[in-house]
Amino acid sequence: MFDVIIRSLTQRKMRTGLTIFGIALGIFAVVVMGGMSEHLNMTYDKSIELLSSNIMVQPDGSSILDESKIRQIKRVPGVKDAYGVLYTALDPEKSGGAFGGPGDFVNGIHPEKQIKDLKLTSGRYLVPGDEYKAVIGSSIARKFNLRVGDELEIKSKRMKGSSSISHTRNVTVVGIQEYSGTMFDTSVSMPLEAAQKFYKMENTVSIIYAEPASGADSSLLAKRIDLNVEKVKSQSPEQLRKDIEAQLVFISLITISAAVLAAIIGGLSVMNTMLMSVSERTKEFGLLKALGAERKNILFMTMGEAALIGVIGGITGIAAGGVLADILNKSFESQGSALFAITPRLMAIGLLFAVSLGVICGTYPAYRATKMSPMEALRYE
Amino acid sequence: MNSNGKNGSNGDYAAGGEPILCIRNLKKTYMQGKIPLHALNDVSFDVQKGELLSIVGPSGSGKSTLLSMIGLLDRPTDGSVFINGVEITRAKESEAPRIRREKIGFVFQHFNLLSTLTAMENVDIAMRFTGTSKNRRKERAFELLSMVGLGDRLKHKPSELSGGQQQRIAIARALANEPAIILADEPTGAVDTKTREVIVELLKSLSKKGQTIIVVTHDMDVARQTDRIISMRDGMIASDTGVKGNEEHGL
Repeated sequence: MFDVIIRSLTQRKMRTGLTIFGIALGIFAVVVMGGMSEHLNMTYDKSIELLSSNIMVQPDGSSILDESKIRQIKRVPGVKDAYGVLYTALDPEKSGGAFGGPGDFVNGIHPEKQIKDLKLTSGRYLVPGDEYKAVIGSSIARKFNLRVGDELEIKSKRMKGSSSISHTRNVTVVGIQEYSGTMFDTSVSMPLEAAQKFYKMENTVSIIYAEPASGADSSLLAKRIDLNVEKVKSQSPEQLRKDIEAQLVFISLITISAAVLAAIIGGLSVMNTMLMSVSERTKEFGLLKALGAERKNILFMTMGEAALIGVIGGITGIAAGGVLADILNKSFESQGSALFAITPRLMAIGLLFAVSLGVICGTYPAYRATKMSPMEALRYE
Repeated sequence: MNSNGKNGSNGDYAAGGEPILCIRNLKKTYMQGKIPLHALNDVSFDVQKGELLSIVGPSGSGKSTLLSMIGLLDRPTDGSVFINGVEITRAKESEAPRIRREKIGFVFQHFNLLSTLTAMENVDIAMRFTGTSKNRRKERAFELLSMVGLGDRLKHKPSELSGGQQQRIAIARALANEPAIILADEPTGAVDTKTREVIVELLKSLSKKGQTIIVVTHDMDVARQTDRIISMRDGMIASDTGVKGNEEHGL
């Protein structure tokens, strides 16, 4: 029966085309929007993974932490070790990246606390004794076209009275990380002390990471840190994950609901087309019944048509979404960050969604088609 | 549901005296508002295998209603239709499609071919519902189209063919599943007189080969060429010529 389905679709090219376009547009929206939230999800997921089991201690009330807090945190029972990092925007004129990403940032860190899970494509990690040396993320390398041995200019800006004073300085790239899909792709990691000195932020850090002793409950430990150390706010990895997930769910909800809306409109157009085509073919179905077709044959034919519209529309939409995401990713890549992740999961969801839209919206028209009495259908002009 | 008799079982009785079609006290009453309209009123007759029977009568005499009862397109109010001794009027709704495709071949006034399909596919589609293999369907469609003289028009769409050619495709389609009876509703109603003769000749030759055919028609020129004419009036049989002459029918 498949050839008959295809024949009846190709016979009404314009209408079939428009309907497929409708579905494709909906699925395109699903894929592009979904790709965006997939990318966000992946970035945060991986970033959190890299920070592993550490408790993140942030300042409560101010924007920086005094290094003395590190010593206080280390004294909290259950804390094995603690270290601070200094995060600063690479370009002080603008902070934060596109779509909630951290943007390009300088990551001042003790060389021995570097995240070695981030592999290098070339060069080496920072070693104790390095000063104005940097390991850079893959996106930074691409954006500024940097190789190991090249110089990267960092800039600081401080307000003094009503005027601002800018300092610049070159750091030497000693290592380049491979693409990780995390916020560290846009990082410039340099020794903490050098960063503090350059940014005139001696003895201060942005965030302190506390490593729980083995067997310690990190949620309880986070609470204990808050109680023992003043003016800090601690988050266990679980807490952090939950917080980020809550935000991501919200973003996902907005994007997905917009996309679903678009897809439903596409689905309605399938329904409309199928209803039209069924009432146009009243006589045809009557004839098929007279020839001995059973309800299931007619159901299969009409549902098949709707499903096929869904499949073709879905594939078209996924392909179009994929191409657009790819183009946008490439153009954003030069600025250091990808925006979309068209995952296999997303493609499967898109296709499934398209087919079920087609089938669901084809059900009623198909039911109408099977219900017709052959006698009446044949008399119908 | 009455369960006497094995409905739907293959009741191929051995040929002989047994008529291929028996109609007994068939009644159909439509309600027009509150007024009952007797479209068929106690109609009974038998048809032997290979007969070419025409049913004539003015509009509203009940001839089309009768045809749709035999074809199981509609249900009678009372009475029975037996094909090969099986009472099809007792068949369940779910069995109707199978009976239609195995026992009945339809030919309509307006051909009712599928416009998107070729001549070949239009014949083929009738066999799809019987689960015939693709090769067998192709073979049979070619055989039938050749028989009706359209062996060189296999890939043509209905729109590329004349009315007479389309009706011949429809006849080929009706024959596809080797039905017990072909029901033709005004088969010459939409073609010119020259084509009409071609169609009638075709039906006559099929009947000679043993195919039972019932033709509903307005056209006395067509009816006169058939073996037997039943005239209907007001839902009843007004006259029945019986089989004319004593020609040999069947194989």
